[in-house]
Amino acid sequence: MMRRAAALFIAFLAFAAPACADQLVTDLSEHQVAIRSNFTGTQILLFGAVEAARPGSRALNRDIIVVVQGPSRPMTVRRKEQMTAIWVNHDSVTYPSVPGYYAIASTRPLEVTATPETLKALRIGIENIDPGTPTAHAIDGTLQILPPDEERAFWKALIRNKRRDGLYINVPGGVTFLGQTLFRATVDIPAKVPVGLYTAKVYLLQDGEIIDTISSPLYIEKGGVERFLYRMAHTDPLLYGMIAVLVAAFAGWLASAVMARR
Amino acid sequence: MQIYLPIAELPVSILTILAMGAAVGFLSGMFGIGGGFLMTPLLIFLGIPPAVAVGTQTTQVVASSVTGALAHFTRRSIDFKMGGVLLAGGVVGSLSGIYLFKLLAAIGQIDLAISVIYVLFLSVIGAMMMIESVQAIRAARGGRVTPRRKHHSWIHGLPFKVRFRRSKLYISVIPPVLVGYFVGTLSAIMGVGGGFIMIPAMIYLLRMPTNVVIGTSFFQIVFVAALTGVMHSVENQAVDIVLGFLLVVGGVIGAQYGVRAAEKMPAEQLRALLAAILLLIGMRLGYDLVSTPPDLYSVIEAEPLS
Repeated sequence: MMRRAAALFIAFLAFAAPACADQLVTDLSEHQVAIRSNFTGTQILLFGAVEAARPGSRALNRDIIVVVQGPSRPMTVRRKEQMTAIWVNHDSVTYPSVPGYYAIASTRPLEVTATPETLKALRIGIENIDPGTPTAHAIDGTLQILPPDEERAFWKALIRNKRRDGLYINVPGGVTFLGQTLFRATVDIPAKVPVGLYTAKVYLLQDGEIIDTISSPLYIEKGGVERFLYRMAHTDPLLYGMIAVLVAAFAGWLASAVMARR
Repeated sequence: MQIYLPIAELPVSILTILAMGAAVGFLSGMFGIGGGFLMTPLLIFLGIPPAVAVGTQTTQVVASSVTGALAHFTRRSIDFKMGGVLLAGGVVGSLSGIYLFKLLAAIGQIDLAISVIYVLFLSVIGAMMMIESVQAIRAARGGRVTPRRKHHSWIHGLPFKVRFRRSKLYISVIPPVLVGYFVGTLSAIMGVGGGFIMIPAMIYLLRMPTNVVIGTSFFQIVFVAALTGVMHSVENQAVDIVLGFLLVVGGVIGAQYGVRAAEKMPAEQLRALLAAILLLIGMRLGYDLVSTPPDLYSVIEAEPLS
């Protein structure tokens, strides 16, 4: 009760006096990442400042949360089961919209930054990602209904898998304040990152309540020859396949020509 | 040095891929095989998605079989007529293999199918070759000559008989078409040329003379692998041209040394060695099928719901 009352009170303050609230100014070191042949992952630097509404006001209990999220796509999680000695993909669960990348950094661990309710409502944190309504299939492709705790196991497995690939990252303490107002965070982009439009969202919290957010776009795309080849493989697959085969055939011919000369 | 693969969508070490290509090329030059059955599992172990491994591997098969076919062409050890009949079956087989591949991928069983087929073929053919070559080595030591049985089998009772001059055969076209079809299907699913199945089938089933077997097999594989490569590209967008190029370069270099090394070794021992390699890979893949995986769950990008 007390907490809700306090939250309402602070929300009221923030709403009633927007001009008085502290504001965020942020930018990224790069807005465009091109994946070229030498791409082995990169780092994005996010930096910003909190512009205090009243100069000289002390920044107490102030927190920053940075969320970088990649494009969402449908994903299927499959579970293996042992059938007569062999491990076979058995049940599967498909989630309609799973972010291919999700990095979160904060000044302090998330649990102490804000209440679980606030984080959940704003979908901040890896545990609070909303993948949409899952559909479960049995091994023969028929729809089935899994008990919630079993479905939960599939979702946990997806998060575990993405964490292992470095695609879901949680860095408590990854945002550091340089003095009173300036802050910075570095976000690791691994090599296996999916391409597309990313958003970098920054939340400013005061006493556990969000008082400002700002979001900036980040494009991760294939560049140079990689982009050309990828495009061609998808828009003109017949020509692409023929070129791939002809190049190989030519290499084979070249090898035999060199061998014959010896 | 790392290079980013545009279709597989991950970076790999150039040296690793070149070395793998060279090692497999060495063995393929040594044994006169395409080497696809070695390369596809290696690529999958490396983390390349199975579909991309299979699709890309076909380009390497094209390169090595072109080299092989040209060498046999100059030696006039290709039965073009037989090759054409095998090819007719192979084309249909490759197409049905591609669709089977797509179907299996859609229901999430492609990895399992690839592994099971590999284990089955590697262990059966490896065991058969091992027994045969050990017997041959023993016979050579004992000074005895194993008599070559030549008897009429059920194959000679089939209709549509055709004369194959170079193979000195007068048999029905049904068995070679079926062999071609079968190997074509496998080649599309496994990313192999299929020489290691085709050659025993030609010798033991069709009873072709050994001097034209390898050349004819290479001739047929060139076209089936080319078709498979194009179809994998069209249907699955699974041919990585950068990976394929690196494999081909490594393979071409390795094959040169393999051919020379083979000249210094007796044929029976060479075959026993190949049999041992086949059995080892089969056992490794078989172990993976039955051992408890480290994570029972796997995640893949689903096809957008239509």
